[in-house]
Amino acid sequence: MKRVWYFIREAYTSLRTHQASTLIGIVTTAFTLTSFGIFLLLYHNVHNILGRVQHNIQIIVYPKDNLESGKLQDLQQAIKADPTVDSLTFISKQDALTEFKRQFPEEVYLLEGLGESPFPASLVLTMAAKTPTTDMISKLVNRLQQNPDIERVRYNRDWIERLTLLIAYMELGALMVGSILALASVTIIANTVQLAFHTRQQEIEILRLIGATSLFISIPYLIEGAILGAAGGGVALGFLRGGFELFTHKTQGLNVFGGFSSVFEFFPLPLSLLLIAGGILLGCLGTLTTIYSSMRFRL
Amino acid sequence: MIQLFHVTKYYDGCLALSDISLRIEKGECVLLTGPSGAGKTTLLKLIFGAEHPDEGQILVQNRNIARLSRSDIPYHRRTMGYVLQDFKLLPQRTVFENVALPLIIRGLSSFESRRKVTEALRAVGMEHKLSTIASVLSAGEQQRVCIARAIVNNPIILLADEPTGNLDPQLTTEIAALFKAINTRGTTVMMATHNQQVVEQLNGRILRLDCGHLLSDQGAYT
Repeated sequence: MKRVWYFIREAYTSLRTHQASTLIGIVTTAFTLTSFGIFLLLYHNVHNILGRVQHNIQIIVYPKDNLESGKLQDLQQAIKADPTVDSLTFISKQDALTEFKRQFPEEVYLLEGLGESPFPASLVLTMAAKTPTTDMISKLVNRLQQNPDIERVRYNRDWIERLTLLIAYMELGALMVGSILALASVTIIANTVQLAFHTRQQEIEILRLIGATSLFISIPYLIEGAILGAAGGGVALGFLRGGFELFTHKTQGLNVFGGFSSVFEFFPLPLSLLLIAGGILLGCLGTLTTIYSSMRFRL
Repeated sequence: MIQLFHVTKYYDGCLALSDISLRIEKGECVLLTGPSGAGKTTLLKLIFGAEHPDEGQILVQNRNIARLSRSDIPYHRRTMGYVLQDFKLLPQRTVFENVALPLIIRGLSSFESRRKVTEALRAVGMEHKLSTIASVLSAGEQQRVCIARAIVNNPIILLADEPTGNLDPQLTTEIAALFKAINTRGTTVMMATHNQQVVEQLNGRILRLDCGHLLSDQGAYT
């Protein structure tokens, strides 16, 4: 307990003693995390929108014409039983005709004299997965196509593939930009801690003299790095929240996607906490980088 | 207690110690003398584990220092005290905090720490300065605090590298007397000095070094 108190007090003393470098460390970390946060916020929202679009992808199944009602029931039940299927809507020939008339009232004359509805009955299904992949969709379609009561299965393959590819590219981009920004944060925090490390060389030397282990010497610096990272993360979160509110307020009048505020959302609480946790992690990594390079060759 | 077998040490190719072999028994008072660059500090550093010998073996309490891993060295250091010429105190901390530092490292309780710190400070005559900031102490007082910090863990060996180098003759006498008292209580003292006054006062075994060679080993000063 005495040691824990010592570690906290040492970290606090160091932060207080080197106020200027502490402030610079917090501000630079905050700016780096804000840049990362802006990117993350954009990614989060675009990913959400694309996910919603992807979730609503519909697969249309056309049963064989004139399928007995009993067999049609069986077919519906068989499709519903598939764990990858979320919802299933049956559209009868008559429903399809009514829908056509509703959507294209001026083209109704084309159907005159055809007698009963020329449209086939269909089953419209959506997938259970939040963001179904092309592979998942293809597997389901293959299973459906093997059913002898199904005439054909239709879905917009090209469009889904493009969407999946777009999401994959976005994730790769997020990983790359995120890594670069994280590396920048680590470097900045490492420099800040290095400054504290250099100004306290004598103290470190004394600690070594009296038998302190490298871990004992490092812990206050790790706490210091974590505090810098957490403070930077907190400030960045504040910047992002303020910026987001300003953005949604300014774009309230714009009629894009029914208004930005209804489409875009700020980080949910877990993601906000994750940003601060990320700051702490970067702070610790920055400290470890300094400690490793400073203590490596010393006895 | 301490045994050196054919120890040789180089710094960037320059010889610092050459083929040193010696044996120091428990409770001895050993004085390392010789001109600057003779290898006195290097010898202390090797025993302390701050340097590795290039050749030879060093046994301290039957433990081979040359074979200690990096992670074992701090634990080895905790068994001994080290006093330096330039004090090495934390200037913005109180006397108590400075002396208590080795005990915090060992994880002792507050009660036990306070008892041991008071005891160590009493031994060096500094118990009345417990709450004083180290930077306002005189040179002699700072060296006393350093000695208190070195003995607070009740070390088996006390190493000292020119502990009176920055002190006037009066303070030198006082500090030497402290080392004598510590040695009388059974602690092995090994001190590097070229102060004749200290050598005379401590009246211990004298190892004379020059250019890394052990020139003589006298049982006691005559």
